[in-house]
Amino acid sequence: MPRRNDIKKILMIGSGPIIIGQACEFDYSGSQACKALREEGYFTILVNSNPATIMTDPDMADVTYIEPLTAEVLEEIIKKERPDAILPTLGGQTGLNLAYFLMKEGILKKYGVESIGASVEAISRAEDRLLFKKAMQEIGVDVPKSGIATSVEEGMRIGLKIGFPLILRPAYCLGGLGGATAYNKVELERFLQKGLAASPVHQILVEQSVLGWKEIEFEVMRDSVDNVIMITSMENVDPMGVHTGDSIVVAPAQTLTTQEYTDFVNLCKKIIRKVGVTGGGVNIQFAQNPGNGRIVIIEVNPRLSRSSALASKATGFPIARVATKLAVGLTLPEVINQITGRTASFFEPTVDYCVFKICRFTFEKFPQAQRVLNTSMKAVGEAMSIGRNFKEALQKGIRSIEISRFGFGCDGKDKITDEMLDKPSNSLLQLIKDKIRIPNDERLFFIRYALKVGLSVEQIHNLSKIDPWFIDNMKQLVELEKKIKGFRNNQPEKAIELPLELLKEAKKNGFSDRQLAYLLNTREDDVRCFRKRHNIKAVYKLVDTCAGETDAQKPYFYSTYETQDEARVSKNKKVIILGGGPNRIGQGIEFDYCCCHAAYALKEEGIESVMINCNPETVSTDYDTSDRLYFEPLTLEDVLNIIDLEKPAGVIVQFGGQTPLNLAIPLRDAGVNILGTSADNIDIAEDRQRFKDLLHKLNLLQSDNGTAFTFAEAKAVAKKIGYPVLVRPSYVLGGRAMEIVYDASTLERFITEAASVSGEHPILIDKFLEDAIEVDVDMIGDGTTFVIGGIMEHIEEAGVHSGDSAMVLPTHTLSAGVLNKIRVATYKLARELNVKGVMNVQYAVKDNEVYVLEVNPRASRTIPFISKAIGVPLAKLATKVLLGKKLKDLGFTREIIPKHVSVKESVFPFNRFPGVDIILGPEMKSTGEVMGVDKDFGRAYIKSQLAAGQKIPTKGNVFISVRDKDKRAIVLIAKKIKELGFHIYATSGTAVALEKNGVAVKVLSKITEGRPNILDLMKDRKVSLVINTPSGRIPRQDEVKIRSQVILYNIPYTTTISGAQATVSGIAELIKKDLQVKSLQEYHREIRKAKKD
Amino acid sequence: MKAVLMLEDGTSFNGEGFGSEKEVIGEVILNTAVVGYQEMMTDPANAGKILVPTYPLIGNYGISPKFNESSRCWISGLAIKEKSRMYSNWQAKSGLDAFVKEQGVAGINGVDTRTLAVHLRNNGEMFGIISTSNRGSKELLSKIEAFRKSQARDFIKKISVDKPTLIGSKKAKYKIAGLDLGITNSIIRQLEILGIVLNLLPYNTKPDEIMKIKPHGLIISSGPEEDVSLEEVAENTKSLIGRLPILGICTGHQVLASALGAKLQKMKLGHRGVNYPVAQPGSYKAEITTQNHGYVVEKNSLSKIKDVAMTGYHLNDKTVEEMESKKFKLLGVQYYPVSPGFNEVNGVFKKFIKLLN
Repeated sequence: MPRRNDIKKILMIGSGPIIIGQACEFDYSGSQACKALREEGYFTILVNSNPATIMTDPDMADVTYIEPLTAEVLEEIIKKERPDAILPTLGGQTGLNLAYFLMKEGILKKYGVESIGASVEAISRAEDRLLFKKAMQEIGVDVPKSGIATSVEEGMRIGLKIGFPLILRPAYCLGGLGGATAYNKVELERFLQKGLAASPVHQILVEQSVLGWKEIEFEVMRDSVDNVIMITSMENVDPMGVHTGDSIVVAPAQTLTTQEYTDFVNLCKKIIRKVGVTGGGVNIQFAQNPGNGRIVIIEVNPRLSRSSALASKATGFPIARVATKLAVGLTLPEVINQITGRTASFFEPTVDYCVFKICRFTFEKFPQAQRVLNTSMKAVGEAMSIGRNFKEALQKGIRSIEISRFGFGCDGKDKITDEMLDKPSNSLLQLIKDKIRIPNDERLFFIRYALKVGLSVEQIHNLSKIDPWFIDNMKQLVELEKKIKGFRNNQPEKAIELPLELLKEAKKNGFSDRQLAYLLNTREDDVRCFRKRHNIKAVYKLVDTCAGETDAQKPYFYSTYETQDEARVSKNKKVIILGGGPNRIGQGIEFDYCCCHAAYALKEEGIESVMINCNPETVSTDYDTSDRLYFEPLTLEDVLNIIDLEKPAGVIVQFGGQTPLNLAIPLRDAGVNILGTSADNIDIAEDRQRFKDLLHKLNLLQSDNGTAFTFAEAKAVAKKIGYPVLVRPSYVLGGRAMEIVYDASTLERFITEAASVSGEHPILIDKFLEDAIEVDVDMIGDGTTFVIGGIMEHIEEAGVHSGDSAMVLPTHTLSAGVLNKIRVATYKLARELNVKGVMNVQYAVKDNEVYVLEVNPRASRTIPFISKAIGVPLAKLATKVLLGKKLKDLGFTREIIPKHVSVKESVFPFNRFPGVDIILGPEMKSTGEVMGVDKDFGRAYIKSQLAAGQKIPTKGNVFISVRDKDKRAIVLIAKKIKELGFHIYATSGTAVALEKNGVAVKVLSKITEGRPNILDLMKDRKVSLVINTPSGRIPRQDEVKIRSQVILYNIPYTTTISGAQATVSGIAELIKKDLQVKSLQEYHREIRKAKKD
Repeated sequence: MKAVLMLEDGTSFNGEGFGSEKEVIGEVILNTAVVGYQEMMTDPANAGKILVPTYPLIGNYGISPKFNESSRCWISGLAIKEKSRMYSNWQAKSGLDAFVKEQGVAGINGVDTRTLAVHLRNNGEMFGIISTSNRGSKELLSKIEAFRKSQARDFIKKISVDKPTLIGSKKAKYKIAGLDLGITNSIIRQLEILGIVLNLLPYNTKPDEIMKIKPHGLIISSGPEEDVSLEEVAENTKSLIGRLPILGICTGHQVLASALGAKLQKMKLGHRGVNYPVAQPGSYKAEITTQNHGYVVEKNSLSKIKDVAMTGYHLNDKTVEEMESKKFKLLGVQYYPVSPGFNEVNGVFKKFIKLLN
């Protein structure tokens, strides 16, 4: 049926900041949706608080709002824009929940807005546990025994009736947040409390555990005339008990018979019909008893999801695009499959390869967190790999997740060496068994150890419940590894003696040159040369949706070792863009945004773009972002293979974050042309000593510093420059293992930690500038013209990682003199490093002096934020500069200082890691960011807080507890709080300081002193804001408890004085007047107008 | 044991032999379904073929006798990318290896099936030979050539029941005659669910004999295409048209069309898989179907036949997938009306039942 003509304007809600459970897959789906809607000629209105997304680029929608995703803001936008319809299914759980709220509250009805894609009934049937269970039972679909509880007592009653173990699933929560497995009464009570608090509707499902069953997923689509198709099946390698977002997943399912598959398909059709989705896709999760085939349904997501992004990338079928077209009334037979270019979307994709998804965790960032996986998702990102068999895909997958591993072990990085495994001690055997029995992020490697010490497939299956088929495949790798090792050289210089047949077999099973080099005791490069000499090269096969049946027009590629190459290398001029790999803390969507812009810029310049990336969540791995996409790991070997084939004019490394930057020097050494800032100048910026010399030469200030390889050296350096010092390894991302150290004993511990992170690189030691203000500058240069994109002032004081700090643009407290010094320093650095492309500089300002902290000759996290704030696509311009264009010709020669204020705030995953202390420091911990824009700082800041999910109060009680050195600064803030009509509670020390200055407070006992204390107050929901600054590295028990409770009850909190100041000034604005909304396009028009005037 | 799969155009693929060690020659066909190797191997329609599943990992869930589509394997050869060395499924009774050996099928493992599939797509389905004999390519090619010349495809005689066979309860409401050209168990199971008694007849049963048993309707089953016996079946069918409701499935559908006077044509690449879209003319409604055929009913010739309409076509290549005659109570489906799962039956059978009244 043709598209609907009765609707003209469509509103889309994005998913907000990147958080665990909701990553950039919704930028991918939202961007595809925007494109699809505009292709059909609809006027599109987009709301999202996340500036780092492609979807919020001003040319993606007709009107774009970067505003907090709250019901109030949405109503304002609806009032202003008057859309005819809302598309709620593309913005993840956040977008769906918000749209659902607007429906339930009658706001959509009030303004005559229709929900397309999924009706309010469909959403409730899938999301409301009770309705869902009833609906499933009506169509005869088995569900685990369960009951719905709205109180702890009710939950206990239901749970005891069903029997342990029990799974708890809070309603309307994403990524299994608040979910848990309870094995006994005590746990049940505790988890019920937590889960009920986590659920926005205070509802929780208490469910029979199907722990250890197979977890099978399907992606299903349905149109308005009831055509239904399956996109793919997926099988979780980790059985039930591990959140699917944390599981290793393969597509298609590997161990289902035809009959089982058909039964699942039949169930899927019944379910999507019953739920009532009439134009879009759903994700359906099942559990299957591996002993008798019994199937129960676990859950249905009536929207685009992380799994649908994976299914889309795994098969080539653009689910988001098609779902959008279905939502506006088109049917599947009418929508063209753009991958084949010649067939209809009404068909079921089929594959002739194995897809492997593996997750990226960041437990190293949260050392206090338990390193185990369960039903609450903990992964921050994922990578997808493709192989012609499971083993190849598995090894490529491990290479892809950026954990410095090069396959399934035997890469020289195994924690447990072959020698230890030869004669394993009892404790080692026990450790191996435990690590297999209890799901964790290292389980794969421990399965390898287990196979090496001789545990059988069956034993490993019994411990892990992982299907024996997968374990046996891993065993095959271990056997192959042993065969290869049989040809090990005594001396590295000796020629490789590996038989070619075995080498081929190894490559077909995914072994990297690096692994082979380790096994053969030679160098990676020697293996590569040997391989190429004997013509054992990677060939590229297609992701074409149809297993080769149709000659696809727009496929993408993966490498394998087969007989024929199907790559479609053209003779045109082309440039390779290296993507950022899996999302992780420190490297997120911002870099993918930049890579996409690089591809767009190449297109505009008429140069072919070739993208290499392995992150299935991203826009950069969309089939139509670049001219050719290689779905490959970002290791030297994999990248060089593509370069050998494509022979690009150059390679762009500066947009994908640290991952590609780390490849810059090896690529240069391999003779590859790196576009932009030279690899040598990149090295100057990264190498501390060379950098120090540079600053010295340019007469720029740096806090005292030194480098060290050992503790003794470090101690000497620290003594010389004086404590506190900041220690960090060079060449790492996101402040990994970075710490502020106050004395020698803590220094020793951190040196050990940092050394294991950095490997052969030295440890950097800097004098820590206490109470300084940090500043981030992003600039762009073409070798002759250098222009600052933006100067951003951090709201948190120095010592908080720039990726975690809230920032404001333009700066709001720095004097003209300081700003001038910053500008001068930036231009000096840029000129000296001959910056071509983008560069980021971080400064600390103390006593009107400007110290250079670091220089990053690459795109920084803030590029998209600035681009949106000033209305200039910096990454796109930078790409054009890399291609030889001049900024003058591109029309960007002067720094833009907008009249409006933009605040970037970070979003943290603390609620996923119970027991982890919530303090910000030099190690980055945030997963995502939001942007608040308004005419002044207070409003912009408060918008950023609202967008970050804080429930900013306008009345109630504020709890204040600050360390001694903040006691002076807190007085003014407390006075302001009183003026705004709040009551203040404080602990004794803080109370004394406040009362001395005439601020009346109620004194609360410290937790150790007795009750009632702050914890009781929070439990009773009597505190609406917490200001609590930390008192040192080893936090006092009280503080940890307070901050954990804050997360549990979702109470707004701030851990810095500057944060408190900003919050209070924002609250003042909130009290004064309701927030106004304004589109990005309007802001940009004003900038252009100001420029003209 | 090294093995080779050589195509009649001289393209060859290396691999490792498994199963029966004999040398086999047959038409090389693809199947794009991810699951279903056992069903494909035991589908009589594939008799004599060298089967190439495009999905690379085969044998993962083992073999269970209950999934056989007929009494045995009918393919002559099986070419796959990777044979699973172990199987894992609660229903599995044995592995692919043992099954292939027991059934006398010549297998070749480790084949670059993707390249083979693309080759067949570009050059059309053709004959091939699987050999472990170390013969030179010339010799292999001349063997294929000799086979091609001599071969009259004659499988149906072997496949079809040799005497009428009653399946189901005699008390059933409907009695249906089935001409067995290679009927599959999954079709039989659906008729059982519907409570139909099926009188499965030898392919060459004469029309009068069919009418003698007074069936409510007739099903002409799927089976091998291009078989020498098909002409006789079509000839017999002619005189049955109009006398009782007839459902033709796949090859049976082609037989029915031929009997009506329509022509058949060979496709460059057959439809073999589980994801084929069949649309209804003048509607946005479509179905995903399972297919296994290399011939289609030629559309123009069908359109010239009075009182018969094309009621379904392949959404992409627009070939005939379904025909119907209200007047003669005929129904023909080029696809396999497989069960949608559990104890349910395909809509085609429900439609056929309606014709019986």
